[in-house]
Amino acid sequence: MSQTEIWTEKFRPSKFEDVVGQQEIIKRVKSLVQSMNIPHLMLAGPAGTGKSTLALIIVKELFGERWRENYLELNASDERGIDVVRQKVKDFARTKAIENVPFKVIFLDEADALTREAQQALRRTMENYTNTCRFIMSCNYSSKIIDPIQSRCVVFRFKLLEKKDISIVIKKIADQEKLKMGENAFEALYESSEGDCRRVINLLQATASISPDITSEMIKMISAEAKPREIKVVLDYALAGDFLNARDKLLDVMLKESVAGTDIIKAIQKEIWNLQIEPEIKVRLTEKTGEAEFRMIEGSDEFVQLQALLASFVLAGQGKATA
Amino acid sequence: MNDKESFTEKYRPEKSSEIVGQEKAVVEVKDFLKNFPKKKALMIYGPAGTGKTSLALAVARENNLEILELNSSDLRNRVKLEQTLKPASEQLSLFKKSKIILMDEVDGVTGSDIGGIPELVRVITISRYPIIMTCNDAWQSKLSPVRAKSKMVEMKALDKTTIARILQNVAGKEDIKKDSTFFAQIAAKSQGDVRAALNDLQSYVSGENILVDITEKRDVEDTIFNILRRIFKERGNFLDLFDTTTMSLDEILLWIEENIPREYKNEALTKAYHALGSADVFRGRIYRNQSWRFLIYQNIFQSAGVSYSKKTSLQGFTKYERPKRILKIWMHNQKTEKKKTIARKYATLVHCSFKRALRDFELLKPIIRQESVQKQLKLSDEELEFLKK
Repeated sequence: MSQTEIWTEKFRPSKFEDVVGQQEIIKRVKSLVQSMNIPHLMLAGPAGTGKSTLALIIVKELFGERWRENYLELNASDERGIDVVRQKVKDFARTKAIENVPFKVIFLDEADALTREAQQALRRTMENYTNTCRFIMSCNYSSKIIDPIQSRCVVFRFKLLEKKDISIVIKKIADQEKLKMGENAFEALYESSEGDCRRVINLLQATASISPDITSEMIKMISAEAKPREIKVVLDYALAGDFLNARDKLLDVMLKESVAGTDIIKAIQKEIWNLQIEPEIKVRLTEKTGEAEFRMIEGSDEFVQLQALLASFVLAGQGKATA
Repeated sequence: MNDKESFTEKYRPEKSSEIVGQEKAVVEVKDFLKNFPKKKALMIYGPAGTGKTSLALAVARENNLEILELNSSDLRNRVKLEQTLKPASEQLSLFKKSKIILMDEVDGVTGSDIGGIPELVRVITISRYPIIMTCNDAWQSKLSPVRAKSKMVEMKALDKTTIARILQNVAGKEDIKKDSTFFAQIAAKSQGDVRAALNDLQSYVSGENILVDITEKRDVEDTIFNILRRIFKERGNFLDLFDTTTMSLDEILLWIEENIPREYKNEALTKAYHALGSADVFRGRIYRNQSWRFLIYQNIFQSAGVSYSKKTSLQGFTKYERPKRILKIWMHNQKTEKKKTIARKYATLVHCSFKRALRDFELLKPIIRQESVQKQLKLSDEELEFLKK
């Protein structure tokens, strides 16, 4: 195995025994793999709970040293078009598996990013290549996957990592990388992790790149820097009636941080409840926010819808709920 | 020169003799005042930008009359009219000056102004002062009771030559040096509307690139300025407005999006964006389902929807801007191109999505900056340079 200094990779478990948390799932998957024949799998659960890790362990257990030749990883949130997915799947599935197994494995990460139409198309693809390929799919919410695909898969539901699990991971890394950290620092790490193991490790490494002496202050500082807080500024401009500046700032945030409109909407929705405006208006604004998010998902232009939403905040700033 | 002042206000005729090409109308309006109170009200009608308001103002000034101006927004309802119009018409002026009452755009008195028209008729009957009204379309049925009480004066659209002459005159005073084809082009496009022609002249002159020769692109942009002006300044249905340009509805949407906040504030701003948001929803549906039938909805929302978001038509000159969003996105993409290529390499290595790598980039930066990681990612020189910033 090639050595890496990216800790999320360096400390990624490569055996079932090393996985922290999700013990029930590990036990069942392990017995499936030992029979050398797996069904299609669906791994559902929040980010950073071990879905990709489990997929990787499965192929390493199945194919040994030559796992790379029998494994294709696609990320549905990046490979948007179903045509791309289909083409890649087809190219990959055409050749027979090397090694002593009758199938190859395709890992389709973030499958819930596929549209319904794309999922329908994928269902056919799964059937066509079922002799040569097994699909492992990951998603945050299994409800976003259409039933016909779900029914072809064995579904495993991952839970958020518990505090004790995260603590095991951190202790292990701290020992090996010779980091000094107190209980406070650990608490700060856990708090900003939201149960996401990838984020914890990245945060730890980013902090350690400054000093091996990890303090809670440093962790808080770094995690604050990494979070764009500028939505508040956008809303403040709008509430003060300065629409042009609000709009410029919004475009800036979206472009500079490469934030998608739907992420901006989520941030706005959270921020509404911190604003100094009447509760009734907050409710109305939330309704507008929800409508804007729905429209975006439906295929409307992010920036037009966000501007329309911002215009409502101008009125809210004057104590009015709606025009 | 005051940059903010629009040519249309700056060069509004002071005297009735300065109103070009409307000699007959000028005489009729003067006669009306001379013979008052034979007819108590006067209706000046004709297309936009022919000088209706200018004529009324000029004649009033020449007769040393105080002007009480009311626009259609004041005609909200009977109560409001009672308050503003009746006292003014019944009480004797405290000063020596007599008065005229000027009501611009009486065709803007719509169905929502409950009692507006009957009240107007009543006020004409009892008024001690002459009432001058202007409107574009005098022959709609709701105005017939007003017509019966009024002397009617028509103002016709001006011909191209006359408008070109007016433009040249203004250009001379503004020290704008252009050849006669330039003025002829603007005049031809104005279709008899002096105001539009003057606005055009001003937008060309105040834009950083002064029109040198009229290319295809310029033609398109010229029309879009007219379209924006009509949607933003006037209140109307505008169902055929977009037929006058080769620009697509989607591109027009971008122009409107860019300029709404330059024109509207508060309620109007919110309503206009609400309308634009609806237009965009249908645009999305057209693309998703190839439902071209929905074009009509996109059209209506981004024309009439935006136009009616204000309660009254607007005056003055607004300098519209080209849509900047697309350009900004492009420029930003150039700047963040390296960030993207790095994030892509990183994402492949650590089995996460490119999007997530991009989202977490600030957090990942110190990690990627480590020399061993840079080597593993096989970063190019440009990418390494980007990381140093």
